[in-house]
Amino acid sequence: MPRMAVALFLGLGLAAAGTSALRVEDLRAGQIPGHHLLYLPSGKYLKAMTFGYSNLAADLIYLWSIQYYSNYQIADRYDYLDRIYRRVIAELDPRYIDPYLVGSMIMSVEADRNDLALRLLDEGIARNPGEWILPFSAGFLCYNTLHDPARARGYFEKVIRIPGAPSVAKRFYAEMFNRLGDKRTSLKYWSEIHETGDSDYVRRVSWLHVHDLSIDVALEDLARQVGAYRQAKGALPRRLKDLVGAGFVPSLPADPEGRDYLYDRATGRVSSQSRRLLESR
Amino acid sequence: MPPVLEISRISKSYRTSFSLRKYWILRDLSFSVEPGEIFGFIGPNGAGKTTTIKLVMDLIRSDGGTIRIFGRSHREVGTKARIGFLPENPYFYDYLTAREFLDFYGRLFGFSRAVREAKTKALLEKVGLGNRGDRQLRKFSKGMLQRIGLAQALINDPELVILDEPMSGLDPVGRREVRDLILSLKQAGKTVFFSTHILSDTEQICDRVGILSKGDLKAVGKVSQLLAHEAKFYEVTFSGLSADGLPGVESVVSRDGGETLVRARDEAAVRALVEAVLRRGGTLKSVAPQRESLEDLFLREIQR
Amino acid sequence: MNQIWAIASNTFREAIRDRILYLLLVFALVFIAFAQILSLLTVGSEEKIIKDLGLASISLFGVLTAIFIGVSLVSKEIDRRTIYTIVSKPIHRYQFVLGKYCGLALTLLVNTVVMTFWFYLILLFKGFADPRLLLAVYMIFLELLLVTALAILFSSFSTPILSTLFALSLYLVGHLSWSLNLLRDRLSGGAGRWVCRVLYLVLPNLEIFNIKGEVVHGTALPAGLLLWATLYLAGYGLVVLSAACLIFQRKDFS
Repeated sequence: MPRMAVALFLGLGLAAAGTSALRVEDLRAGQIPGHHLLYLPSGKYLKAMTFGYSNLAADLIYLWSIQYYSNYQIADRYDYLDRIYRRVIAELDPRYIDPYLVGSMIMSVEADRNDLALRLLDEGIARNPGEWILPFSAGFLCYNTLHDPARARGYFEKVIRIPGAPSVAKRFYAEMFNRLGDKRTSLKYWSEIHETGDSDYVRRVSWLHVHDLSIDVALEDLARQVGAYRQAKGALPRRLKDLVGAGFVPSLPADPEGRDYLYDRATGRVSSQSRRLLESR
Repeated sequence: MPPVLEISRISKSYRTSFSLRKYWILRDLSFSVEPGEIFGFIGPNGAGKTTTIKLVMDLIRSDGGTIRIFGRSHREVGTKARIGFLPENPYFYDYLTAREFLDFYGRLFGFSRAVREAKTKALLEKVGLGNRGDRQLRKFSKGMLQRIGLAQALINDPELVILDEPMSGLDPVGRREVRDLILSLKQAGKTVFFSTHILSDTEQICDRVGILSKGDLKAVGKVSQLLAHEAKFYEVTFSGLSADGLPGVESVVSRDGGETLVRARDEAAVRALVEAVLRRGGTLKSVAPQRESLEDLFLREIQR
Repeated sequence: MNQIWAIASNTFREAIRDRILYLLLVFALVFIAFAQILSLLTVGSEEKIIKDLGLASISLFGVLTAIFIGVSLVSKEIDRRTIYTIVSKPIHRYQFVLGKYCGLALTLLVNTVVMTFWFYLILLFKGFADPRLLLAVYMIFLELLLVTALAILFSSFSTPILSTLFALSLYLVGHLSWSLNLLRDRLSGGAGRWVCRVLYLVLPNLEIFNIKGEVVHGTALPAGLLLWATLYLAGYGLVVLSAACLIFQRKDFS
């Protein structure tokens, strides 16, 4: 008899446990495992809670965050991006680089919150001045997504100062000057790149820029001198050579392909016979 | 020769956690144990026997009084080297084998490996565990544990052996073995001090006993002397007669069917009684001299 | 000295026969399994996560072993009265305490070495090996030695349960003592600041042994840190063990 009672209790127990487990699973289907991590306190208090295991905690929360943000069914998951990445993971382990990169990518590309992305990357840059990838990502974000060459330039300037930064950073840096209209400085840096270039590719690419920028800069200079001549003499010069004679330029520059610059004495416009090598920007 | 163990005016009290009241377990206890004797320390449960032994072994401290062993402080390490001790219901490291167990204690005494091996072998034989040397203690029966405990107490060939309830939980065979062991220790010139509440064993082997009750020593001395004060008497059993009017009868103990059991004070009374029974045609069943036993003494003393 | 070693080796034997080594096997297997599936879960390099996990496991397993076994070492003996026949032998009570401590330290050493060996092997296999990690393990071991001393101290006068609670609490507090300095900076009064300072110095500062982050990130360690940490352990441990010996000396075993 007791044996039957035991069997009965076992059966009942299993049935109850099984059904309720499935039911609870349904009830909580809307909630993500570990969702309470969304409500973690941030900052130093969190670090205190980990009792010396903060690095591991950062790792685990990061792993969780990847699963969380891969779950496309959670509609409001982007509400917590800043909290999770900047105020939790970055606080627990400020030198953990992957979350800055992945977090900012999610913020920018998926949530369309470039402001948060840059804030996160700024945080990472401040705590890890020796990691070039962070300002590089920020610079690229500003250039490619925000189309803000001024900000991008600021970031790339940081990058080139970090030892071990890839050479492409300097190329970006040089090019940002161009986008901002400061062709002279751009040319200066592109020339440096060309002279110190350590591969055929770099030398070839940089030469393209040097070529075009030389033309642009020369045209700027000539145009300015033409204007000065007109200011001084009251009329446009008849030939470019007149600028030399009047002392406005020491000599006439040739374009990178050795040709002379063209001058239209009717309008005073200076132009180049050689074509630009790069597509118009 | 000075006493081996001398206890002077020992007191021990304790306080429960929440009250300030003191409970005295022992109060002003004094006695001594002479060299070469077997001293039995008897008393009911809770009398304070184990407390006394713990005080002697420096497991607890007394509130007052002194204890001297071999004339020296009982706390000195040198003194402890000459004592053997077996606690009541002992627990040992059960993950050790018997051999490892004795080897461990040997190391505590600082014996070299050769000495330890020799002693271990000899002791295991002595306590009858010679073929169990490699069995783990967790597999030992109570009797076997008691025996290995005795082995541990003897490992340093001590001059004084202190045993707390050495026969508790043993069957009669085991008890006899322990008794024989204690006697053999005495023969080897050692002094044995043990506590027990089983009196029959004590009576047979102790030279002196001390009776402890409620923390007080009620009586101490040689068994024969303590019992000598008790008058002998005789129990006489007969049938076919009533006891009325018979000479020499001090008291009637019982009437069972036709048999009557009476008590007579001495030989003279017995003779008068027996002659009267035979003359009157009764049947004499038995005449048995009785001495008051240690148990009677004990029960009486603890009432005081 | 021989007697201390007798008790120490006996304690070690007890720990081994307590099948604690099985725990290490579990550790090894779990660690390998996790390290393998890690690459499925993460975006970015798995190197940091494996290293963090390995060091944290060695530390956590070690601390739990130190506390639970350390507490039971003395408490259990007193509880079970196995201690009667030992303390009544010609051996000083402090020798008993030190013997227990050394036995447990030896057990922890073996545990730590085995786990570190496994851990390093996996790292070598994956190409992440870095000898500096061994420095972190050394510091973890120092911390374990200190926690063990504390566990033994508590168990010399308290019940097993309370001792475990005390030891665990002190472990947690030991990793938070830096917050006392923060608090001190925020207080303006003299007495409050003084209390913070005293507490900070008196409580065990276990964070100084925590160089897991620095080692995994490859940051430089302050010069002489290892030396000072060892000295701190030696000093603090000496104080704690002396207190334990003293308490044990005066203890009544009723």
